[in-house]
Amino acid sequence: MKTHTRRMLVLVMMLTLAACQQPAPVTAAPEDTGGSAKGDFGPPVGEPIEAILTAPPLVPPATGRKQPAKVVVNLEVREIEKEISEGVTYTFWTFGGTVPGSFIRIRQGDTVEFHLNNHPDSKMPHNIDLHAVTGPGGGAASSFTAPGHSSQFTFKALNAGLYVYHCATAPVGMHVANGMYGLILVEPPEGLPAVDKEYYVMQGDFYTVGKYREKGLQPFDMQKAIEENATYVLFNGSEGALLGDNALPAKVGETVRLYVGNGGPNLSSSFHVIGEIFDKVWFEGGTRYQENVQTTMVPAGGSAIVEFRAEVPGTSVIVDHALFRAFNKGALGMLKFEGPEDKTIYSGKEIDSVYLGDKAASAAPVAAAAQAAATGALTLEQQVKSGEALFAGTCSTCHQSNGAGLPNVFPPLAKSDYLNADKDRAIAIILNGLSGPVTVNGASYNSVMPPMSQLNDDEIANILTYTYNSWDNAGGQISAADVARVRAATPRPEGAAH
Amino acid sequence: MKILIMLLALALMVATAEVRCAEAALPQQSVYQLGDSFSDHNGQDFALASRRGKPQLVAMFYTSCRYVCPLIIDSAKAVEHSLDADQRQHLQVLLISMDPDRDDVAALKATAQARRLDSSRWTLARTSRDGVRRVAALLGVRYRALADGEFNHTSALVLLDIDGRVLARTEKLGTAPDPAFMQQVRAALGSQHATAPHAGSAPD
Amino acid sequence: MRLLPLAMLMVPALGLAGGGYVTLPGGSYKSVLAYEDTGGTVTLAPFELMKRPVTNAEFLKFVRRLPQWQRDRVPSVFAESRYLAHWASATALGSAALPEQPVVMVSWFAASAYCEAAGARLPTWNEWEYAAAADATRADARADPAWREQILSWYAKPSNQPLAEVGQSPANHYGVQDLHGLVWEWTEDYASMLVSADNRTQQEQDRLQFCGAGAIAMDDRENYAVLMRVALLSSMEAANLTSNLGFRCARSIDEGTP
Ligand code: HEC
Ligand SMILES: [Cu+2]
Repeated sequence: MKTHTRRMLVLVMMLTLAACQQPAPVTAAPEDTGGSAKGDFGPPVGEPIEAILTAPPLVPPATGRKQPAKVVVNLEVREIEKEISEGVTYTFWTFGGTVPGSFIRIRQGDTVEFHLNNHPDSKMPHNIDLHAVTGPGGGAASSFTAPGHSSQFTFKALNAGLYVYHCATAPVGMHVANGMYGLILVEPPEGLPAVDKEYYVMQGDFYTVGKYREKGLQPFDMQKAIEENATYVLFNGSEGALLGDNALPAKVGETVRLYVGNGGPNLSSSFHVIGEIFDKVWFEGGTRYQENVQTTMVPAGGSAIVEFRAEVPGTSVIVDHALFRAFNKGALGMLKFEGPEDKTIYSGKEIDSVYLGDKAASAAPVAAAAQAAATGALTLEQQVKSGEALFAGTCSTCHQSNGAGLPNVFPPLAKSDYLNADKDRAIAIILNGLSGPVTVNGASYNSVMPPMSQLNDDEIANILTYTYNSWDNAGGQISAADVARVRAATPRPEGAAH
Repeated sequence: MKILIMLLALALMVATAEVRCAEAALPQQSVYQLGDSFSDHNGQDFALASRRGKPQLVAMFYTSCRYVCPLIIDSAKAVEHSLDADQRQHLQVLLISMDPDRDDVAALKATAQARRLDSSRWTLARTSRDGVRRVAALLGVRYRALADGEFNHTSALVLLDIDGRVLARTEKLGTAPDPAFMQQVRAALGSQHATAPHAGSAPD
Repeated sequence: MRLLPLAMLMVPALGLAGGGYVTLPGGSYKSVLAYEDTGGTVTLAPFELMKRPVTNAEFLKFVRRLPQWQRDRVPSVFAESRYLAHWASATALGSAALPEQPVVMVSWFAASAYCEAAGARLPTWNEWEYAAAADATRADARADPAWREQILSWYAKPSNQPLAEVGQSPANHYGVQDLHGLVWEWTEDYASMLVSADNRTQQEQDRLQFCGAGAIAMDDRENYAVLMRVALLSSMEAANLTSNLGFRCARSIDEGTP
């Protein structure tokens, strides 16, 4: 009884101490929080708590606690085959069955009893290195776990912040490239300011033997990984993870907070939301925030917390602003803001938006068409709409948005006799490219069109259906099956894959 | 008459079951399940199961080792030293060589004498190469013979209960014993009178 | 030589030879385990290795002959509770364990006992690695990126599908099959791989943990594919088992094996 009271007393004293220190006025250098030296608030109070773990993009609720607790975390490692892109699967190694792994949320000073459970079906041993752990290997040495086993270790979270965790089993790069990373949030003692929406977004780079969007189960490509030549750069482990129906919703007027991580293994992220300015960025996932940020750097094995207010309705696109990753390797996500329009805030003329305007507008019909195709209910109209968006993103740079082409350089697609003469040939041109002399509407061209090898069958079908139904062309409908047939009949040209 | 025979048979069955229970019934988790034959530093052959009855402190070493292995003996001594005389009487120490090629009985005997190890409590033992591999596996000791005849190995003190089950293990070696480990040693010595000699867990 | 109790039960006519043995010439080769004392160069005496991993059918014969290795009898110090859990019963295979599939869910103790009963032993890591360095035409194909990719492709396959039967893959240069792409395999000295559990630690730390030379470095990118086996084996204890871990036996030929 007596010792208990004394312990409580000590605790209260420590809390007061911490509280007293915070608002001390600062003149020259900003006062620090004391870091790990001031992160121990004494032994855990109360019954152990089982941590709530969430799959991305969800975030567990705030701990809401004022005292340190013992928190039990049970994280299961699973090796599972999942879709990385439409029609493309990959064997991911995961913490909790998802990429990124389950989100863990605790409070500074908590004592965490960590259980790493490696599923019996696993082929590989795994471990975990939590950047929130102060100690050798971040827990890696104590958590090396054979398939069908579990390990336990305990640590006290001495530093507040948003931390990456990842597998550190040899070859570490491969375990991470296969998706073995996630985030653990260590709330500061006073918690984080309340917001309306919180989401979990984590970038990673992936290396497959097949090229981008090449169908089927794709194995990991060690050589590409060593060369840092990513096949995919993705948010939340798959191309569609944050697109279409999976867009992150918020209402106009709400404050949105993203917990952003980057698992790597190789690439740093230039994290940006098109058409948004981050009101606050807790850069590097640390204690302080910067205000009014356009793009924040999230290093591999690092994090950031970004916050902004949804001002106008519409779709904002999340990208790695290293843009070929966004538009050619999959680093795209979406936020969908719903509510009344406010023209005084958004006029639609700023540079980023124009660039994105295309892309932002395009994604919705593309997603709709993809979904309709999956359910077998794709209409001509959907195909045309989707094809129009894709055409704008893929073909219009050369053939122009009105299909007129450029004299002597890019032949016209509008009223093109060459196009209208043979549908299968048109399919083959997109698949394999075209070079050498051709005559279109009487004019001859002798140039090179590269193979559009990033497009899948549905997309090619939609682009051509749009093309045939525009600019007084012959009309008709091309199906994904048509494309597949032509694809099967034409051997892929050498080198197109890389 | 029939009933009588049946009863008799039943009684006999019960009797044999009891006998078996009292003499054997090694727990499933017992390291003493290992059937390999060992020899001690006096040249006496024994099976691990013959160590039943008293808690054991077990470690692996080799006599020609200059660095860590002397420390292993020191660490076991340190455990003994932090016990009182009565407790000490009830703890046995078993050191198993991982170098059966060079550690013959004479080499073990020489080390026992040089380090003044009391034969009433300390046993230095050897077994076959395969036996070494198996006992190391049971004790969780990893080792590898180096080209120069030395061994690369992990070092641990392992505490076995009276039936050979692993109760505790420490890799913290030195003359100041690992406190958590000491606590387990004391607990094992304290509880042994209460639980002896038949440790109840029924193997099947 | 052998003081093993099981040696008495050694029955040459047990018929446990999985596809029989092939003879490997031995010699010097470079191991991926670049220990300080050897620098990685290893010299092997000629030895015999089973052509294929041991199958369920073969292991069934073994546990019938030596019932102490049946799953309801084996002490838990020798095999954890999931030992042969995919079999229909202690002495029957059932649909989850086809006769010609490699036996898995066996501990190191059980695998060793099997080989001993067959008058053999588990191969050493170096013997296994040496045999597995070959492809169909070359004794050492390890420098070939295609060889590596092929091994890595096994890791890309999730393991919730049934295992293939043994003997499906082409024989390598020595006539051995299934060294890659089917199961992990126990080695006699799996516990001698002093790989620290966190391979990024510096030598300093290893020195404290392991008496003598440091733990092996796992940084050879050319050998990722093989080092993953090392990682798996180093995560295992002798009573452990997994649904992808099997074994095959080896025999020395210099000194009088029958
Ligand atoms: C990088 C520029 C470029 C892009 C992008 C491009 N093309 Fe072409 N396209 C060309 C060139 C150049 C030719 C003529 C090739 C030659 O001279 O052999 C051509 C020829 C064609 C032809 C046959 C000639 C004609 O006018 O009918 C078709 C059909 C065609 N392209 C369709 C497409 C479609 C659909 C897309 C989008 C998926 C596309 N192209 C994207 C440059 C491009
Ligand atoms: Cu891993």
